[in-house]
Amino acid sequence: MRRDSPPSAIAARCRPPRVGGGKRRAALFAASLFFSAGAAQADDLVAGLSQDIIQITSNYNGTDIVAFGAIENMNVMTAAGPLDIVVAVRGPNADITVRKKERVAGIWLNNHGVVMRGIPGYYYVASTRPLSAIAPEDTLKRYELGLDLVEPSSTTARTPEIAEPYRQALVRHKLIEGLYNENAGGVEFLSPTLFRARVPVPADVPRGQYNVQVYLFRDGNVVSAQSTPLYVDQTGLERRLFNFAHQEPLAYGLSTVLMAAALGWLSSIVFRRMT
Amino acid sequence: MEIYLPIAEMSVHWLLLFAMGGAVGFLSGMFGVGGGFLLTPLLIFYGIPSGVAVATTASHVTASSMSGALTQLRNRAVDLKLAGIMTISGIVGTGIGVWLFGLLREAGQMELIVSASYVIMLGTIGILMLRESMETLAASRRGEPAPSARAQHHNWIHGLPLKMRFRDSRLYISVIPPVLIGLSVGILSAIMGIGGGFVLVPALIYLVRVPANIVMGTSLMQILFVTASSTILHSVSDFTVDIVLAAILIAGGVIGAQFGVRMAARLRGEQLRFLLALLVLAVGARLLYGLLVSPGDPFSISADMP
Repeated sequence: MRRDSPPSAIAARCRPPRVGGGKRRAALFAASLFFSAGAAQADDLVAGLSQDIIQITSNYNGTDIVAFGAIENMNVMTAAGPLDIVVAVRGPNADITVRKKERVAGIWLNNHGVVMRGIPGYYYVASTRPLSAIAPEDTLKRYELGLDLVEPSSTTARTPEIAEPYRQALVRHKLIEGLYNENAGGVEFLSPTLFRARVPVPADVPRGQYNVQVYLFRDGNVVSAQSTPLYVDQTGLERRLFNFAHQEPLAYGLSTVLMAAALGWLSSIVFRRMT
Repeated sequence: MEIYLPIAEMSVHWLLLFAMGGAVGFLSGMFGVGGGFLLTPLLIFYGIPSGVAVATTASHVTASSMSGALTQLRNRAVDLKLAGIMTISGIVGTGIGVWLFGLLREAGQMELIVSASYVIMLGTIGILMLRESMETLAASRRGEPAPSARAQHHNWIHGLPLKMRFRDSRLYISVIPPVLIGLSVGILSAIMGIGGGFVLVPALIYLVRVPANIVMGTSLMQILFVTASSTILHSVSDFTVDIVLAAILIAGGVIGAQFGVRMAARLRGEQLRFLLALLVLAVGARLLYGLLVSPGDPFSISADMP
């Protein structure tokens, strides 16, 4: 498939990584190395998350999590060729409709739409260097690494060529919303074997199961990979209200109306007292 | 200042939304309309998903019309029989509207239909109201008695069958116009998230010729029940009512409305109608602009509801 812009052009549009809170982060990082439940073992790589569940409460306004890990196998370390780490976070898959406005009889209206089935609702990829420098496009494409390579599992367009501008529009919109991002240089090595990446989780992330994948690249090939789940869910009152609305919609609607009527009634009484 | 909305699934500045509810409440108290036609576009502009904006605005209008309807009931300024007939047809209308809403959303044309119907309705009503209020203002400046809004000559409406007597309105007319008005306001309410006061009041005055002192209370009564049923139907059929958002908007709205009512007491009826006409035309012009001017990005995305 033809790409309009090289990955580096997209990377240039990405937001710079957030900085600050270094000391606290380092402590958190060290603590989570020991206590994290999310850490997983493989031959060459261990990886984990500072948090494996994000709970959305009433004052939730976005957060950062830290993905961290270490290269374990010394044979990997000492062999020739540059080592690179890529951290990719994918949110729950969703069906997203992309519509294109066209001018019909002087009025702008949604004329064509393409449904992107099974495309991640959240996507973040951080790497030690620009992805194009780490691996050839074929490899990146196989692992869907990079904003230019995020693909839906299927679309309603007749050909991929028709779908492509719609897919790019989706990525552009998600980038603006902060739900898609690419951060070349977002993975930093703290020592020759220890690395970490900060993953921004904005305020309006979709709920569900996320997947954090850590890849170890050498000479353009994946030599090891780790996958860790991350859960984002509402909690407390928000959770109860959401469940109430979906499980007992009639009672929920009636309560909303009752609340509205009561507040309206109350205000008319208070106002009458005041005059 | 941030609060997370469980249904819209986003975090918002609650103080800003509270102020938004207050400003709309002020205007609705001042002009005796629900204010939905202002609130829905404002919420969409803020970034609330349009489905949630439409459905939640309905509950805001329920609260503001509740407050107004109670006051009018105490003043005996309600034609209960007329309000009852329009309420029943209005509830049927909201059922049709919620169904249409779902169809339009699937087809991706909801935004267009909502904008286009706003432009047509706001444009027509605004121009009618502007002309009438300017004539009245000009007449009072010349020192002539204001031309009666309730013309005495018969129109085509009096030729319709199924006549019925409405004692409080001193009318003997066919039930067909009130039923049709109720039905269409119900449909509009469900699709546009409005109470429909700005349609209902002129329709009752100019078409059905209900006396001016009865119009406001009767339309508020109908709006109250129609928006309540619209809220419930949206809760059940598409889960788009956000109770937290509703609470913030209503709290601001009921306070703003009380200040609006006081402001209205200082102005004359035709001055109020003149200002409301300008407001209605401004909102209509803004929406027309959106339809005619080329969008910065022709693409838009929407997540399919699970």
